[in-house]
Amino acid sequence: MSTIQDFTGYSPTWCPGCGDHGIGIAIKQALVQMNLTPSDLAVVFGIGCSGNMNDFLNAYAIHSLHGRALPNAIGIKLANHRLPVITVVGDGDCYGEGGNHFIHACRGNHDIKVLVHDNGVYGLTTGQSAPTAKQGYKSKSTPSGIIETSINPLALAISSGATFVAQSFAGDPAHMIQTIKAAMNHKGFALVNVLQPCVTFNKINTYQYYLQRVYKLDEGYKKDDFESAIIKSLEVNEEKFPIGIIYQAQKLSYHDHLPQIKSESLVAKNRFIEFDKIIKDFI
Amino acid sequence: MTDFTWKIGGEAGFGIMTTGLAFSKIATRLGYQIFDYIEYPSLIRGGHNAYEVHVSDKNVSHLSPVTDVLVCLNKETYTKHQSSLTNKSYVIYDEQEFTVDGDYIKINIPFKKILTDLKGQMIMKNTIALGASLSILGAEIDELIKILEEQFSRKGEAIVNFNKNFASSGYDHIKNNYSNKILKFLTKRESTKSLVMTGNEAFSLGSVIADSRFYCAYPMTPSSTVLTTMASWAEKVGMVVRHAEDEIAAINTSIGASFAGVRASVGTSGGGFALMVESLSFAGITEIPIVVFIAQRPGPATGMPTWTEQGDLLFAVHAGHGEFQKIVLSASDIEEMIEITGEAYNLAEIYQMPVIVMSDMYLSEGHKSISKKFTDDFAKNYKVNNGKLVDKISNRKSQIFNRYLLTEDGVSPRLIPGIQGYFYQANSYEHLEDGHTTEEASPRLDQVDKRARKWATYLKTDFKQPKVYGDLDKAETVFISWGSNKGAIIEAQRQLNNKTKTAFINFTHLYPLNKDIILSFFKGKKRYILVENNSWGQFGKLLLQETGIEIKEKILRYDGRTITPEYIIKNFKF
Repeated sequence: MSTIQDFTGYSPTWCPGCGDHGIGIAIKQALVQMNLTPSDLAVVFGIGCSGNMNDFLNAYAIHSLHGRALPNAIGIKLANHRLPVITVVGDGDCYGEGGNHFIHACRGNHDIKVLVHDNGVYGLTTGQSAPTAKQGYKSKSTPSGIIETSINPLALAISSGATFVAQSFAGDPAHMIQTIKAAMNHKGFALVNVLQPCVTFNKINTYQYYLQRVYKLDEGYKKDDFESAIIKSLEVNEEKFPIGIIYQAQKLSYHDHLPQIKSESLVAKNRFIEFDKIIKDFI
Repeated sequence: MTDFTWKIGGEAGFGIMTTGLAFSKIATRLGYQIFDYIEYPSLIRGGHNAYEVHVSDKNVSHLSPVTDVLVCLNKETYTKHQSSLTNKSYVIYDEQEFTVDGDYIKINIPFKKILTDLKGQMIMKNTIALGASLSILGAEIDELIKILEEQFSRKGEAIVNFNKNFASSGYDHIKNNYSNKILKFLTKRESTKSLVMTGNEAFSLGSVIADSRFYCAYPMTPSSTVLTTMASWAEKVGMVVRHAEDEIAAINTSIGASFAGVRASVGTSGGGFALMVESLSFAGITEIPIVVFIAQRPGPATGMPTWTEQGDLLFAVHAGHGEFQKIVLSASDIEEMIEITGEAYNLAEIYQMPVIVMSDMYLSEGHKSISKKFTDDFAKNYKVNNGKLVDKISNRKSQIFNRYLLTEDGVSPRLIPGIQGYFYQANSYEHLEDGHTTEEASPRLDQVDKRARKWATYLKTDFKQPKVYGDLDKAETVFISWGSNKGAIIEAQRQLNNKTKTAFINFTHLYPLNKDIILSFFKGKKRYILVENNSWGQFGKLLLQETGIEIKEKILRYDGRTITPEYIIKNFKF
């Protein structure tokens, strides 16, 4: 049995009241409840306040570059698909700098779990607006209000082929633990977009803001229906934030399509030495 | 003695590449050595393609300025390549389509009529041309028939026989009409078994031999055939090949795979490498091994995608933000590409740093015949050296694994993730020995110095000195070069032999350079000439930067074409 302590590294340096504290605890709690140890999984951290969890969470880990966590995670998964692979990233990290990687990771249904800290700002660089910030949001980099329409992570993921798309709220630890566990148990690409108040730089999307607008999906909600999931994912346009599993589908993961790693992972296989099988092509 | 050049040209999109390769394979199976090169524009249809094969009964690794047999599938082939013909050259063409006016040995093949009579498609002109070529060169038709069987057997006997008809009609047309013109260039001879391979294929094969299990890339000429070759082998050899969304993803996927414990590489050309550079630095500080293959083409930007140049050496050497260690190697021919590739994977793992293998379009896409025994011996003798990789730990008392342990040689033990009882992070931030982020001055100094010691260890232990061709002591003139120019320089040396004594220093370990070792090659008053396929003399600049040696005389070429022996001699001031 593992304990929270096993996963606990250095003390967090996040601002008091930051939603990241809750997310950090929820991740550890979910891992403990799943009876995993720090040796059992790989975590790839992006760059940003979210990625700074690298020093607070014990695991085999890469603290990657800004935006590049997902391709690192895909590489780890393909090399050793027995290892659960999680990425801990931010909204600017994953939907901005790494936007292309995000779309293609969804498309490939790569079996990685993407936990996004969505706070609408670039916290670590002191509060410029991020891709999920609402149109018109004023920040240091957009003093007259952001001109672009905001990214809709849920709709983007669903339409790009992700097979598990969920949303949670940093103010609801129990919901986060449950959702992260569901994502971990899902076979295939899983997105958990966590609505996370940045208490220092985002004065709009506060705990109060979310508490008034977040709601849990009905028990009768059909998460396997693609079209209703798309409709549900568009509610953000009316500032309504459903939390729970918005969409889930059963599909083979990318690595399931590779017969060469069916019986053994790539890293565990014996070295190939029957070179004549390929050399004959050159005669 | 056999030494001739056969060239075929026609409209792009009509099978010139397949035909040229078939000719190279047939010549090799008949016991000869080949060196070939293809000229093609960056489009799929409508442009002009030409494929030339230099055939010899001896080892051959350069192109010849003279075409002995020119097969013209259209008029453009004749007009474009006329300048390479002499009055002894054979020109194979169809009188019905155009006239050949010069003083050459003209061989009329009624391509059009044969196609109409046998109800063939345009593309079968190639098969007629191959039959006619073998006939005029004095070869039997058997090997061509075998190639057609290999190519079409999946489609059934009827298709095989249909294609054979075109081969025979070309072959017989020569026998019946030009029996007095038949040469004895390609009569079957005894020789050891040979392979026909490009530089890209050599890198791919070298990778498999080196136990590389992961390749990730985004297509870019002239590196794309590494991706397609490895993809075609993946299931057979048990490797995973991912065609990623862009080059940034490509290198990061491979870095992830390497972190997880498998040997991994990426391949691209200059523009794609530019996108990878951010993560080269990432691999540098996290000390994750990665092999990067660069097939250069003329830049800047899109440049001339299907032509050749050595314009990215200084870019590769200096690529990446911050100060980190990398090794840059280059291969000069196909055999060397197999060897250097094998070495690159070992060095990447021993020193836990990026290792770049430089190629160029000329080396990457041209074929050369190499002895099968060479490949077999290399594969048999290759030793995978994982360096300080830890895949088992017996003592599980402590959970702390010091991934960035300070060591004398600069290299720290590297643990395969998943091993129970431990964990660690590979950190793109500056870090402590245990991988945790730090901004303190003292551990920063420790880690910078630790990483620097890896270079010192490499230069002491694994740096390979350049190879010398010719007698360096007796030479009056010394050529300095690297990469695919080797074959042309060695041939130029041979041709200059009665005019001046020459030697040639060829570098394969390009960066970092061991100053003391290199200085020992530049003793005495000699005429040194730098030969490079770029306009800056980039290796010359690197040599000056790293060793203080300045080579003032240069033979440079940067018109998208390769360095040839004639180019060297033309620019050699007597």
